[in-house]
Amino acid sequence: MELLFDEFATRYVRGEHPDVREYLERAGPEREELGRLLDRFLEAVPARATSEEEIVLMQARLEQQPPILLLRLRRKLGREAVVAALVGQLRLDPGKSDKVGGYYHDLEVGNLDPEPVDRRVWDVLADVLEANVRGLAVFRPEPPGMTASAYMREPTMPALYERVSVFPEEANAIEPDEIDVLFLGP
Amino acid sequence: MPGLTTSSMHDARDAEDQRLLDAGELSLLVESYYGVMLDRCRARVWPEADAIGVAAEVAIRLLSELKRGRRYRVPFRVVVHKVIGWKIQEHFSPARVKEVELEEWLQEASTESQSELEPDAGFDALLEGLTELEQEVLRLRYADDLGFQEIATKLDKEPNAVHQIHHRALTKLRGAAA
Repeated sequence: MELLFDEFATRYVRGEHPDVREYLERAGPEREELGRLLDRFLEAVPARATSEEEIVLMQARLEQQPPILLLRLRRKLGREAVVAALVGQLRLDPGKSDKVGGYYHDLEVGNLDPEPVDRRVWDVLADVLEANVRGLAVFRPEPPGMTASAYMREPTMPALYERVSVFPEEANAIEPDEIDVLFLGP
Repeated sequence: MPGLTTSSMHDARDAEDQRLLDAGELSLLVESYYGVMLDRCRARVWPEADAIGVAAEVAIRLLSELKRGRRYRVPFRVVVHKVIGWKIQEHFSPARVKEVELEEWLQEASTESQSELEPDAGFDALLEGLTELEQEVLRLRYADDLGFQEIATKLDKEPNAVHQIHHRALTKLRGAAA
């Protein structure tokens, strides 16, 4: 545990961005104790710079908006551009762009479980959106109307998304293809 | 960070915070602390969604305070850490008294100066309860970013002795954090 703390602390003071979650994971049964020690350390040392992904993640939580959508809008990219990148870089059939678009929409608004999504999809999204998109996908906003607290900041983008899947339901009834496997897992 | 003392880094941060406050850049000011809010909340609260939720509560509280016009006579980073600590406690024991205590502290922090309120929650606070030698080893390791061999040379000790002092110091910190 001390080795983990020492490694985290020295990386932090060197200006790196060690991931607290990774160290807690590695601590196993000493996770809670390491967490308390890291908390004390983080309170004492000068705060590191906030990353853009963290800003997007917090903004998403505060406004109850999907983080991947917020990130794409921050990048001023249309959904079609992201879908085109997925189809192109993954060498998928351009004739199935609509299907890819449906899955991407579901992923973007939090309708699709990010867990089974193939690493290659995340790699393309990281490339086109210039961020760790997989890390952002962990936050999935509650459906509209379920939010208990409202953020006082003026909503920047009202009615940003619809939590309605645009993916055609009949797709579930047919044999899974390469695109299904990429987004839903084997 | 090497080459800068933690104290001078805190001073630089305080000056930047004051600049943002004077410019009315309240959202930017709070955003600049999102990283440490998430780090501290992740250290104490899990699963991830709960940690993000607590961090968001911290951000909401700070921003609403600032937008209401409240200003502090202590550095803003001290307020940030105080609110993080309180919100984490509140997560584990959601008693109304925590909110009352926090409000009282924030009131005092806006009327009393740092010295009247409590010592700065800087690096020295982490070292409380350690011997001078233990403090020196941790300062050299985590504030000056020196390796154990360099610390041994600087303190004219054997590297093994430095490791032992470091181990003793961390054991005490673990006890204090428990």
